[in-house]
Amino acid sequence: MEVYEKLRILADAAKYDVSCASSGHQRGNANKQLGSTAAAGICHSWSEDGRCISLLKILYTNHCIYNCAYCVNRSSNDVKRAAFTPEEVVSLTINFYRRNYIEGLFLSSGIIKSPNHTMQRLIEVVKQLRTREGFNGYIHLKGIPGADEGLINEAGLYVDRMSYNLELPTTKGLRLLAPEKERKQIIMPMQQVRDQMIAYRDMKKHLPSAPSFIPAGQSTQMIVGATDETDYHIIKIAEAMYNRLALKRVYYSAFVPGSTHPAVVERGRPPLNREHRIYQADWLLRFYGFKADEILTPDQPQLDLLVDPKCQWALNHMAYFPMEVNRVPYAALLRIPGIGVISARRIVNARRFSALSYDDLKGMGVVLKRAKYFITCKGKYCGDGDVEPVYLRQKLLEPPRPEQISLFQTHPEVFDESEAIIRGLLT
Amino acid sequence: MVYLHDGSFEGVLSGIYKMFHAKAKINEGKLYEASVYQQSFFELTLNVETVREHAYRVAKSLYDSFGQEGFKCVYYAYLAEDDSYGTLLFRTLKQAYKLGGQAFEALGVEDIRRLTQMANKVSRESHLLLGLLRFSKLENGIYYAPFEPTQNIISILAPHFEERLADQVWVIHDTKRGIGAFYDKEQYHMAPLDSLETIQYAQDEVAFQSMWKDYVKHIAIEARRNLPLRRQHMPKKYWQFLTEMK
Repeated sequence: MEVYEKLRILADAAKYDVSCASSGHQRGNANKQLGSTAAAGICHSWSEDGRCISLLKILYTNHCIYNCAYCVNRSSNDVKRAAFTPEEVVSLTINFYRRNYIEGLFLSSGIIKSPNHTMQRLIEVVKQLRTREGFNGYIHLKGIPGADEGLINEAGLYVDRMSYNLELPTTKGLRLLAPEKERKQIIMPMQQVRDQMIAYRDMKKHLPSAPSFIPAGQSTQMIVGATDETDYHIIKIAEAMYNRLALKRVYYSAFVPGSTHPAVVERGRPPLNREHRIYQADWLLRFYGFKADEILTPDQPQLDLLVDPKCQWALNHMAYFPMEVNRVPYAALLRIPGIGVISARRIVNARRFSALSYDDLKGMGVVLKRAKYFITCKGKYCGDGDVEPVYLRQKLLEPPRPEQISLFQTHPEVFDESEAIIRGLLT
Repeated sequence: MVYLHDGSFEGVLSGIYKMFHAKAKINEGKLYEASVYQQSFFELTLNVETVREHAYRVAKSLYDSFGQEGFKCVYYAYLAEDDSYGTLLFRTLKQAYKLGGQAFEALGVEDIRRLTQMANKVSRESHLLLGLLRFSKLENGIYYAPFEPTQNIISILAPHFEERLADQVWVIHDTKRGIGAFYDKEQYHMAPLDSLETIQYAQDEVAFQSMWKDYVKHIAIEARRNLPLRRQHMPKKYWQFLTEMK
């Protein structure tokens, strides 16, 4: 089979892995070799679904001995199969990189023969790239659950990031859709990676020449909407991942239907809007100092699809508002809808020189459309009219874009709810 | 008084030097590039000679007073090629020197805010182009990357690729402004460069281009198709140089 054909098949097979980050590690290029990495990460293109392309994301092979119901590469699925050779992956990576198509390689694989055998093939590729080719670009390697500890420790010395996908948020879901995998098998290597990262970091403190171990940290992915977990459930798990496993990122992937498995919830189209809201909640966890239990509760376990999670929180806590932007501390600024990490930092820096007015905020990146209902500037309130949460929510609604309308039709409960509010306003 | 400079960064800084020496008032002093200034009967003009020594002293003062971040803001805003830049810079500096070392964070001051916005725009475009620039391998082994950025960012891109593509010979070419950055595996330098008439690709170039196009097509998830979102991230004005969009 020609490389062309393999690339098509193995890109198709890899695309449901949503991680695309090339961030988290800055590496210079000391001896005029090929490649560097940028701490902020760089996007190189965007595909027709609007997702960024940063890394060459491919499977080593899509042959797989497992038969997980959610996965396009399950052994019972009737798709064309292919396998790269290490040389082919190396040549594609290097040649794409030299043309600035990509930031590096994201290599994953179906399981051939055994987890150890598969992991060894992957290590062979990244080792060739790093040692033979002197390649300094970004490498993200998917860990193979069930592979030996020694193999993980070896791989970690060559790659920037490693990830094990949780896929189904709960043990129940995993048992249902991927009976051959055990949750323990996924969590254990993540713990091991975390411990090794800490060990190497400690070693580096005393011995600067010590090698780095997965310097950009590890990430994972959960599928949203294949089984019946609530949003509360999902962000609680994400929070535990960040706190206990020191993960850099949790990715969420709206389930793309196509499976005929009886346990899979059929929804027609992937729940993209829900995925979007979960990402926003994830940002609140990582950068805004929110706890999962503040964002949602067992009684209110779903995110509002029509306003963002921070607005949802604010509407439930109107007693904190309005806040005076010239006075409240940074952590409180972060709680104001429409103010992000960058604008909060700008506000804190700028107000040391002079008190800020409403017009000053305009050029500082604050989304006043939302923020104006929750702030005062030099004591002046700039929102218009009523701040009753039910009316305010109405003002904060984000009108669905035309291309998303069909999506909303798959969530009739949303329409009913907003319709009820509109009717409430009329009577 | 209207001070006129020659359009170079050194010219701008020489103008600033002159204005501070002449004790120009914040609301009266204006600084424009000579070639874009519209002569008016009511204003006195003065052509400022570009003096490297003067420019250097202003640059050093900016560095010493406002640090690397402050200097970067002034330089990036220059690259935005906005006609109002000179006067805005003068007004900003008049106020910034009074506010002290962190002055470029005083976004409550309108002029400082506008200058940083100008710089941020440049910073955004150059970050985007770090990813969107495309090199093709020519017959003679040189990797060639033509592009037409909205702002004059080639001097920001070149150092990035000097580090990254350190073991290959490359040329980055701003075809709109006629500037090239040339790298010879040791260091890069910038020089005027006219449009190339014919380009001969290396033997394997077409194969890698079509594999990249194929890859971009296949990595999209059909059920999530969203072309407006793609256009939002990757504006159409850049497409003519993107291998995968041709």
